[in-house]
Amino acid sequence: MSTIQLDRRDFLKGCCAATLAGSGHAAFAATDSTTQDTLVVVFLRGAMDALSLLSPGQNHPARADYEANRDATRVPYSGTGAGLPLGATNWQLHPRAAALKTLYTQGHLALVVGAGQMAPNPVVRSHFEAQANLEIGVGGGTGSGIGWLTRHLMSASLPANVPVPAVSMGSITPSSLLGSTEAITMNSGQDFRLDLGNWPWNSADDYQPAIAGLKGVADVLPSLWQSSTLPLAQAGLSALDALSLFRSINFGTFHASSNTAGYQPSGGANYGTGGFGLQLQNIAQLVKRNVGLRIATVDLGGWDTHNGQGSPANSYDYFGNQVQVLNDGLNAFYTDLSTDAAGNYMKNVSVVTVSEFGRRVQENASGGTDHGYGTVMLALGASVNGNQIYGTFPGLASDQLFEGADVAVTTDYRRVLAEALVARLGNANVGYVFPGYSGYSPLGIFQSSVLADTVFKSGFD
Amino acid sequence: MSSTTAAIAAAGSRRRVLGTLLAALGMDATPAQAAMRRPGKAPVDTRLAQLDAASAVAVTFSGPPSPVAWLNRASFGCTQADVTAFNALGASDSARWTAWLDYQFNLVDDDSACNSRIAGANFQSLNLTPNQLWTTFHSDTANYNHRMLPVAEVECATLIRQTYSKHQLFEVMVDFWHDHFSVFGWDYDGGPIFPAFDALFRDTTPGNGVFGNFKSLLMAVCESASMMYMLDLYSSFAAGPNENYARELCELHTLGAINYAGVVDPDPYSGVYPIPMVTAADGSSIRAMYVDDDVYNATTALTGWTISQSTWQVGSDPNPGTFEYVDSLHYDKVTTTFLNRYIGANTGISAGQNIFNWLSIHPGVATFIATKLCRRLVGDNPSASLISTVANVFMQNYQAPNQLQLTTQAVLTSNEFLSSYGLKMKRPGVAFVGALRACGADFTPVPDLDNPTYVSGQWTTTDSLLWALQSAGHRPFYWPAPNGYPDTQTAWSSTGTLGLTLRMLAYLLESTQDRNVAGSPFIADVQAQTLAAIPVAANRTAANVAGLWCDCILGYRPANVYNTAVDFLRQNALATDALDLTTDTWNSASLKLHYTKSRLRSMVALILSSPDFLTR
Repeated sequence: MSTIQLDRRDFLKGCCAATLAGSGHAAFAATDSTTQDTLVVVFLRGAMDALSLLSPGQNHPARADYEANRDATRVPYSGTGAGLPLGATNWQLHPRAAALKTLYTQGHLALVVGAGQMAPNPVVRSHFEAQANLEIGVGGGTGSGIGWLTRHLMSASLPANVPVPAVSMGSITPSSLLGSTEAITMNSGQDFRLDLGNWPWNSADDYQPAIAGLKGVADVLPSLWQSSTLPLAQAGLSALDALSLFRSINFGTFHASSNTAGYQPSGGANYGTGGFGLQLQNIAQLVKRNVGLRIATVDLGGWDTHNGQGSPANSYDYFGNQVQVLNDGLNAFYTDLSTDAAGNYMKNVSVVTVSEFGRRVQENASGGTDHGYGTVMLALGASVNGNQIYGTFPGLASDQLFEGADVAVTTDYRRVLAEALVARLGNANVGYVFPGYSGYSPLGIFQSSVLADTVFKSGFD
Repeated sequence: MSSTTAAIAAAGSRRRVLGTLLAALGMDATPAQAAMRRPGKAPVDTRLAQLDAASAVAVTFSGPPSPVAWLNRASFGCTQADVTAFNALGASDSARWTAWLDYQFNLVDDDSACNSRIAGANFQSLNLTPNQLWTTFHSDTANYNHRMLPVAEVECATLIRQTYSKHQLFEVMVDFWHDHFSVFGWDYDGGPIFPAFDALFRDTTPGNGVFGNFKSLLMAVCESASMMYMLDLYSSFAAGPNENYARELCELHTLGAINYAGVVDPDPYSGVYPIPMVTAADGSSIRAMYVDDDVYNATTALTGWTISQSTWQVGSDPNPGTFEYVDSLHYDKVTTTFLNRYIGANTGISAGQNIFNWLSIHPGVATFIATKLCRRLVGDNPSASLISTVANVFMQNYQAPNQLQLTTQAVLTSNEFLSSYGLKMKRPGVAFVGALRACGADFTPVPDLDNPTYVSGQWTTTDSLLWALQSAGHRPFYWPAPNGYPDTQTAWSSTGTLGLTLRMLAYLLESTQDRNVAGSPFIADVQAQTLAAIPVAANRTAANVAGLWCDCILGYRPANVYNTAVDFLRQNALATDALDLTTDTWNSASLKLHYTKSRLRSMVALILSSPDFLTR
């Protein structure tokens, strides 16, 4: 029979009619990890105090201003709780971020200062509104109810068949994936299965060998929802698809006696027992399983430190506890994916952190900080040009502050995310993913991926 | 690539694609798991988010009889008994609905069965005053389990009342206002005092509680220890004001983000008014939207509003755990403004009180509250006209002791409410309680937290069911942020929450009174109920049994659910054959005999797992 030869460009544009019959383009099969990258977006919810995560070091020109504004919440540059200097940059990381400092020095971690939302104007200081603005990504407002990552998935020319293009860790789909039918949302891989009905009639696959003709509840549910005309039906079918897709995966952590088929992180990576770590573990497991994962989202909350933020110089260091969770989780994730026997997955995985805004430069008298503006973004990966601070720090002198109170924003957060999409995921449709955002140019944070090179070399336009 | 290789690859890929297409049509094909992204599946779907009454009319959803639809939204789940009782209330559905609402709003003291169940659970903390809770539980820094027992008890008592109280609308509104004034129950400081917070909503004295006056409820919430700790107001003093409560007061409790203008200088003195003025409930003129300066000024106005003994500054004050205004901690050295109103200097507690006065007359607040009420009871996208109607009732009754009753009533008597179906879904907590109600469960959750007979490694039935509800994302008082659990189908139809709801519902049917005791009875004994409802064995056919449970759970028999349930129960029997429903033995050769008791429970789980049960 004649082959269906597709021009590579047409294939990438996703000509569904042609690919429906199968093109046999194995090089672009969903499961080929060398042509596919994954972007993990970590949302630090509650407005992370960027000035404490990354503070001016001893010789930084803004150190004096920093110390004038931060006393109870100060990160010192010497003595107990001293920050971790980042090379010759005069910046220092919070002392509880030791692994992040190592990753930075190894060239796998970059930070962007003065990052934030340049639109809408006026600035909003509401957590919920600012989070929604960031995630919908149209410069303010809820647009047409579609998130920025959804628009990426729509415009990235993914192959027609991808088992799991996106996963969002949590119970409820975040706004960045609003409207997408291609994402699986789950709070915990281990819990995401239909397995608590009585065993005789739960699912046919509970029987080894199978009983001919036996269909359990899990097997019958799809047709029950398929035959419904209620508005909820489509969502139910999606949920059942997702459950079915993940059913064969043992997301539990390996245990010598109770779960020998469980997941074993590589390189001795320890995700701990907390929610954030385990969610990162789930993502890592999916990356290694080649389900076609392009996007993963995960949240870490608890950053809204209006009161009693603590300081690393004291025994009470609430903010430091948060940093520790972030540090440990990202470290385990990086170790797990970079030391796997199959290869260094982190070459094709990038992690970016976002937060809705930073916190006010002047601490309040409750030992905490209030809502601010400019913040810091992290970029982590083996294909990140790390060991560098990006962006222009606007300064902490009172005439340099936004509204006389906050770190100003000099790098639009979309610039960093767009670069991840273009350079790593090969999606140049910045104007589609972020409508209204113009003048994009890369900061140089990400190395160009094989996929991006291929896409752009073939004259994709 | 050679043509042969390509052909094989093409054929394989075609087979996969066909398999997924057939699977999408519900047909058994070659085993293929439907990919999340596949041809023929739209990558984006915003229909559920945009669903409103107008679009719903265009597609007629076959739904239950109207009273069932109404009761399913105004209660935690309509049961057969509810329908029977409803039908006895009058000569027509509309007369019955009026009578039902009358009964629900009048709160006649006749909830003895539910009250007995609560009493039998021996809760220790529910009726204590804030002072007593402070002394008994908040002061306990040694035993965390004992310290947090109050919130664990409120959690259990809430589920009991949602399941068994005859005052179902009251419970629905308590749930609504808890979400509106959302507090994370397990806060180290707020948790021990949580029963006093819950009591504010449940207060049935005139002017108070969820059927009372909004301003009264708003202020009572502000002055509660649990909310004070949640939003840091307890530590907001002149020397160090904390803006957290003031911001969320404006954004979440009253005006809403829709009335937030951002970091804007409204500057009325310049003669330029970037934000319009609107007419308040008392006829005066008030600025339509709030700006950040309003938040800061409200913060100042509310300094010194604190909880006795919550900080060192008030560490020796009387009545610990209760609200107090401390003038020495209040900042009022200058005149300030809130919206377009002046707050004079040295006006003490009235500065903060005025904030509440002005918010309670603001039309933006009326609209925000009305929108949320309509979204809870009618649909995710209530019409502007309904919102306006309800907001007007709210505004006109701003001083009435039964303002919230009248406002709620306006929603529930509206045409939009009465003619809607399919515009809401049951959030996991509602599905959970609704399943308990529909399946005639006998379940009294009690905390295991401070249990002297606690056995390490053993998990009680209560623990296991709360865990299942938590996994579905909807454990009571467990939302960490002050904006409360979302209230839209978009949120709750996520794969994670919908999938885990299906998991939870099956688990419910398998749960026993004491999961650590072999042979313990099921909390919902569907077998016993089936045998009792169909006493003649020859009548226990799939047709009848499936019909019975569709009636119990759904109030009617939608064809797809009914037929699926019949087929599942009968297996290789005929729908009209009498079935054995009393044995649990292996019989792979004749599946109608294979684990019949389990199959009956699974059939019930199947009905609970239908879109028809989860829609309302």
